[in-house]
Amino acid sequence: MTDPAPPDAARPYDGVRIIELAEGIAGPFAGRWLAALGADVIKVEPPTGDASRAFGPWPGDVPGDETSGLFLYLNGSKRGLTLNLDTSDGRAILAELAATADIIIESSTPGRLDQLGLGYEALSRDRPQLVMASITPFGQTGPNAELPATELTMFAACGQAWLTGDPDRPPLKNGGSQPSYQAGLNAFAAISAAAYAALVHGQGAHIDLAIVETYAGMAEAFMTRAAQLGVEHQRSGNFISATWGVYPAADGYAGVCALPRNLPGLLDAVDDDALRAMNIVDDPAARAEHNDEIAAILYAWFAQRTPDELLQLGIEHRVPFGYVASIQDLAENRHMQDRGYFTTADTEAGVLTYPGRLWAADDYGWSDAPAPKLGQHLPEILAELGYDPEDIVRLRELNAV
Amino acid sequence: MPEPGRPLQGIRIADLTMIWAGPYATKILADQGAEVIKIESPAAWDNIRTLLPPPMAPGEHWWNTNFYFHEYSRNKKSLTLDLASEQGKAVFAKLLPHCDVVIENYRTDVMDNLGLSYDWLRSLRDDIIVVGMAGFGKTGPERNAVGYGPIIEMLSGLTSTSGYGDDGIPYKSGISYGDPIAGTAAAAAVATALIHRHRTGRGQYIDLAQREVMTAMLGEFFMDWSMNQRLPQHQGNRHDWMSPHNFYPCAGDDDWIAICVRTDAEWDALKLIMGSPEWAEDEAYSDQIYRWEHRDSLDDQLSQWTRQHRKEDIFERLRQARIPSSPVWKCLELVNQDPQFKARGFYEPLRHPEVGIWMVHGWLWRSSGAGPCVLAPAPDFGQHNADILGGLLGLPEAEQQALADAGVTATRPNGIPVASEMPALPSPV
Repeated sequence: MTDPAPPDAARPYDGVRIIELAEGIAGPFAGRWLAALGADVIKVEPPTGDASRAFGPWPGDVPGDETSGLFLYLNGSKRGLTLNLDTSDGRAILAELAATADIIIESSTPGRLDQLGLGYEALSRDRPQLVMASITPFGQTGPNAELPATELTMFAACGQAWLTGDPDRPPLKNGGSQPSYQAGLNAFAAISAAAYAALVHGQGAHIDLAIVETYAGMAEAFMTRAAQLGVEHQRSGNFISATWGVYPAADGYAGVCALPRNLPGLLDAVDDDALRAMNIVDDPAARAEHNDEIAAILYAWFAQRTPDELLQLGIEHRVPFGYVASIQDLAENRHMQDRGYFTTADTEAGVLTYPGRLWAADDYGWSDAPAPKLGQHLPEILAELGYDPEDIVRLRELNAV
Repeated sequence: MPEPGRPLQGIRIADLTMIWAGPYATKILADQGAEVIKIESPAAWDNIRTLLPPPMAPGEHWWNTNFYFHEYSRNKKSLTLDLASEQGKAVFAKLLPHCDVVIENYRTDVMDNLGLSYDWLRSLRDDIIVVGMAGFGKTGPERNAVGYGPIIEMLSGLTSTSGYGDDGIPYKSGISYGDPIAGTAAAAAVATALIHRHRTGRGQYIDLAQREVMTAMLGEFFMDWSMNQRLPQHQGNRHDWMSPHNFYPCAGDDDWIAICVRTDAEWDALKLIMGSPEWAEDEAYSDQIYRWEHRDSLDDQLSQWTRQHRKEDIFERLRQARIPSSPVWKCLELVNQDPQFKARGFYEPLRHPEVGIWMVHGWLWRSSGAGPCVLAPAPDFGQHNADILGGLLGLPEAEQQALADAGVTATRPNGIPVASEMPALPSPV
């Protein structure tokens, strides 16, 4: 990384070169935020494109390489080229690109980059400040290192499946692709911390990030309770207790999560004499004893409350109330719109609106340039490496790019 | 030069966070080498210390010992300081010039109410990095709403996408998922801000709304809404095109295995492992599209086979055939048994003088050359008061004693009895 920043540095990663040799969700999700914060992220795709180009959603459900919503979401603000790593020319170009990188994000099967001569040891020999993040389902070592995985199998392998769903039904996977997304977020944190040491101390790192480990680290009280007390946990569906759960509401579903200190506010908000008489604020034993009666009162109460009412009651009484918001509710949410959370991009798939940042900083903004088309920046990137236009024609004929 | 795996060594963080989301962020920062000073008031300590009373918190000084507190606060230091008092605030003002970062996850108005505004913090250290992690952010009409992880998850959109699919009921994740997600993003925000400061000389204020981080984990659903005005349907444990793709019941008590078949080759391998049963040769299962169309009957048939075997045995055979699969590991199995986590040393021993040894997770990601992740248990209440007040700030002992006498510092939360003085209570949550 250059130090100090270029004089016009507006974003934290301005001038930082990242090579992204990662497909799917986890690696690209990390790369997307680094790109939005100024890094020059060069996405290296196989000639068939990143796997996420084939995942959709697509407008009108018509598949297209340039119109996958998942790909467009995960790859904004990057530059892209295709390389065929089965050819020696393709591998040579990747090596030249890697030599320009401050940071490499990769998700190959463990050992694959070493076989190509592009493992961390080889690349960092003359550049000890190089940061490489290797992101795979199970990590670089261990008996499962090369086992293929899906979101469902990772959700099981990290313990989250055991914790989620009703106790009298099978475990339940949560929505979307949470194992990969959370891993991508962790990779962003890991890379940022390592990049700081690279910048300040010239010390690089090879980061071995296992998707199942980052998610297993989010086991809250359950895993550590089992470990300290030797007691197994049983999943509890939508209710940990009557005052910590999800209830049917007037329009959809809603919920409350009250710790003991939130109970006085809950009593005020619900305003029910029978509930007040149970002495649940002062007496934990009473809370346990009356749990079913409290639940019955709250079922009846929530059934008559709308999302807006609950939000206002929560603010007024400082009670953690929420409603189960749909994607439409969020896309139309005034509060988030006012905060500038969403971004709008004109893409091959039309004009799309989607989350555009993770946080708001007072000293920089987040870039929202569209994702690269397949091979879009190949000529310009090869030209930067010193290739002539004729070279590019030759490489195309050799199927290297 | 920092030790391998501790890239943030040399960074000092004033940690005002409580409960889950904030402490998760500072757990990561502490593991990464930052000196995290956890600041609590004698009158308003991190609730998580006392959320689980004895006997779930073992030992006489139970506010120091329970597993839940240690899950988030290992590798940190503890300073007690009543920030609502003038004396406490004066000490904090002396500490701030020594700190690179201030991080808090209070309700959105609390810092200003305490007189700890960004302007005030900056007046004490010009390039200070301040992170506020209120659930809904510091601006906008919903900024005063309050919420813990599951509320954040409900309001983020995720809960609406999770469900068994046959009853319309949305399900929250088993954990308070909004918290670690926000915490991980906050750790990234801090590291990014440190880079920015190093390159520009400027600190910054970061307004991180926990909900907004969670919502960003749902990108494809926003794209589908934007493209097709379509909302996600509950899928249970099934998939858009894979089948088999489910948790299948196994021999044993509430034992399950995840099996996903992506290709005809994987299906052929699975059939062999099952002993090539006649039903599997049915035309209905002969290619990927047929298998998906007949997923109900296929799941029934496959379950009849999985029920006869232990999940570990099925997994071992599928693993050798490289079919995506995994036991649904239970908590104790993950900590004690999973060969993958064991081989990588994911869980490390944590030692506490009052409790003994138990296993906690170590590196969330590991850097080449790094030693053990967990260097110290979570700190006792006020454990590092003398180190910080005397050692770092140079306050004479008499002054430290005066602070303790005035109740500005303490080594025991106000009004909390030791375990032997109180009745055993049920868990409040």
